[in-house]
Amino acid sequence: MNRIFQKPDNAIQWFDPRGRQLGYLAFILNRITGMGLALYLLLHLIMLGKLAQGPQAYNSFIETVHHPVFLFGELLVIFAALIHGLNGFRIILNSFGIGVEKHKPLFTVLMIVTLLCGIYFAVRMIAR
Amino acid sequence: MSQKWSLNIEVQRQKGQEQPHFDRFDLEISPDATVLDAVEMIWAFKDCSLCFGHACHHSTCGACGMRVNGVEKLTCITLIGDVTQNGGTIRLQPLRNLPVVSDLVVDLTPLYHRMAQVKHPSVHPIEENKGVANQQTAQQGESDNSYTRLADCIECGLCISVCPAAMTSPAYVGPAALAGAHLAGVIDQQICAIVDTKNGVWRCHSAYECSEVCPSHVQPAHRIMQMRRQLLSQRIRRFFGLQTFHQRKQ
Amino acid sequence: MDKPKAVIIGAGFTGCATAHDLALRGFDVTVVERGPIANGASGRTHGLLHSGGRYAVDDQEAAIECIEENLLLRRLAAECLEQNGGLFVALNESDLEYAHRWTQSCERCNIPVEQVDIKQALVWEPNLTPKILAAYTIPDATFDPLRLALTFAATAQANGARFRLFTEVEGLIERNGKIQGVRCQDRTTGKSSELYADCVINASGAWAGKIAQMAGDTTIVVKPTPGVMVAYDQRLCNRVINRLNEPGDGDIIVPQRRMVVIGTTSFEVDEVDYIPVFEDQVQMMRDCAIQLIPAVAAARQRGAFMAARPLIGSSTSGRSIARTFKCFDHQETHGIGGLVTITGGKATTLRAMAEKTADTVCAKLGITASCQTREYPLRSYREFRGNDAYH
Repeated sequence: MNRIFQKPDNAIQWFDPRGRQLGYLAFILNRITGMGLALYLLLHLIMLGKLAQGPQAYNSFIETVHHPVFLFGELLVIFAALIHGLNGFRIILNSFGIGVEKHKPLFTVLMIVTLLCGIYFAVRMIAR
Repeated sequence: MSQKWSLNIEVQRQKGQEQPHFDRFDLEISPDATVLDAVEMIWAFKDCSLCFGHACHHSTCGACGMRVNGVEKLTCITLIGDVTQNGGTIRLQPLRNLPVVSDLVVDLTPLYHRMAQVKHPSVHPIEENKGVANQQTAQQGESDNSYTRLADCIECGLCISVCPAAMTSPAYVGPAALAGAHLAGVIDQQICAIVDTKNGVWRCHSAYECSEVCPSHVQPAHRIMQMRRQLLSQRIRRFFGLQTFHQRKQ
Repeated sequence: MDKPKAVIIGAGFTGCATAHDLALRGFDVTVVERGPIANGASGRTHGLLHSGGRYAVDDQEAAIECIEENLLLRRLAAECLEQNGGLFVALNESDLEYAHRWTQSCERCNIPVEQVDIKQALVWEPNLTPKILAAYTIPDATFDPLRLALTFAATAQANGARFRLFTEVEGLIERNGKIQGVRCQDRTTGKSSELYADCVINASGAWAGKIAQMAGDTTIVVKPTPGVMVAYDQRLCNRVINRLNEPGDGDIIVPQRRMVVIGTTSFEVDEVDYIPVFEDQVQMMRDCAIQLIPAVAAARQRGAFMAARPLIGSSTSGRSIARTFKCFDHQETHGIGGLVTITGGKATTLRAMAEKTADTVCAKLGITASCQTREYPLRSYREFRGNDAYH
């Protein structure tokens, strides 16, 4: 038999935004931010593990993460949490059949909120 | 328009069990012709071993769906001028998430079977198109529910091809069949057993691409969401003993 | 006892309906088709289930056959039909004069025709031009071309017929002046094979002449006669709208799903495999449509397509079973056994064509088996198994 179920050329196809519309971009963002937040959670647990090792270990760890790279990373996490959370809220609404016809403008509005909140946090972090 | 464009057409080929590869063809064709016209010309004049699906050439049969430059299209109503420019390239591939027969042909019969299982009515009264915003087109005649028409869904498979959930799990009922179940109206026990499952409506992750690529006003994503609401309210009412499963009118 | 074997070349309306009929008569049927189901003239048909009104004046036999098959298919293939009826409308004096002859002819052919008040017609169809002078109802209907073919194919398949799609006939196997089968190539793999049959039925439509030539018979001349059809992106009418006059160009508008399709023209070509759409014809169709439904002027064009009717050249010899199509037993025309060619006809009469073809094949093989397709319930088109067809 010649029939072949197509596997995606590679997993990248899942994340390929070319030719896709806003709803799919939101889908991709949700996956990526979800994975990012999961990774952050892992790192956070490791950090808490350091806390358990006593004040010396914890303090040296905190010194390390005050580096700008880590602060930038934290900013990414904030953005990721905003995107994932607010978009998640949109998905929950849609899943109950609410606002489905307006899902695109809803996404746009939520992303603007994301941007504004994110900028606010960024400003506060940099000020410190 | 008699002007013709010079195009580079790349067509995915696959015979038997071999790996897919691309064949290249040069083609002179009017930008007002359709992508399906281009495929047919290649078959007629350059390579008669090319396998491609088509029948009606006017968007009612659903046989000519393909990926055109990576995007799912119904090629009989897709103009060359809308997908490329003079001197450009058109890349043709079969739809995803359906069994490939050869070259550009996929087997749509698994989709047909699912549509039968969810009892999607292939022809229904004109007024019966509930659940989603139904753009009224021209004036309608007197509101006479005795008119019938063939359903919007032409079972073309574009929605399945673009769905990320369908990509990762072949067991997913799929946007077309779920939308079909919604159009069927009453969700009886039999249909519930298909749609109210982990591979039914709950598998959808709101990518919304199905509604975007549908050439035929079905709006599967919207119907899936509406059906979730329906299923939930049915479950709640059953929980409080307010109703049993819907009985289907025979 | 072994079942008699039939190989049918072509899976358009003729091939699918003949496969259904022969399968019911106990044949072992294999349909060989170089493309997918209904990819030739059958797929691109206008989609009008004729009431026969169009033929009533000039060809009564065709009209009677039409209305009979129309009523049968409404019962058997309801899943593929929009059964909203049709209107014949008169726009000028010439139409009105024709009306008198026309209503009488329809009556003689048992086609139920009823005059309606113009105001009522316009209430039913508000997009119809207000300039109509008379209107008559008639039992036209719309069908989905692919699904109608699939309906017959699925039923035939359920009764044991095998469909081999994307399989092109490369030659006929001849021994001792008799066609024993076909040599074909599976386009999905490139592999060739041979299929043997007690009778080969050439149902290849516009390509019937080419297949007949493989047997050495050059007398079958099929003139591909395409016509253009244009689809618009709005369902501007619910009934089929016909111009009440002699059959001409662009005089039928058929609604389907959320579209209307205007057709058609008629001209000859030489090249059958690909016929381009001619822009001037599309324009002409648009003008004709606007005469009947002015709103077409503002409607978006969804597509334009060509369908090549396989018309038989008049120089062709061979007894015709009916005026609506031709069935050739090559034993009679050329002394070549084992081959029957069937071509012509229209979609509405597919079942009747198949019945007569199957009768011919049975008579040829000395088999007594009567036709059951008038009563036999057709299966859903969704039961077609690609698994078996896309070997």
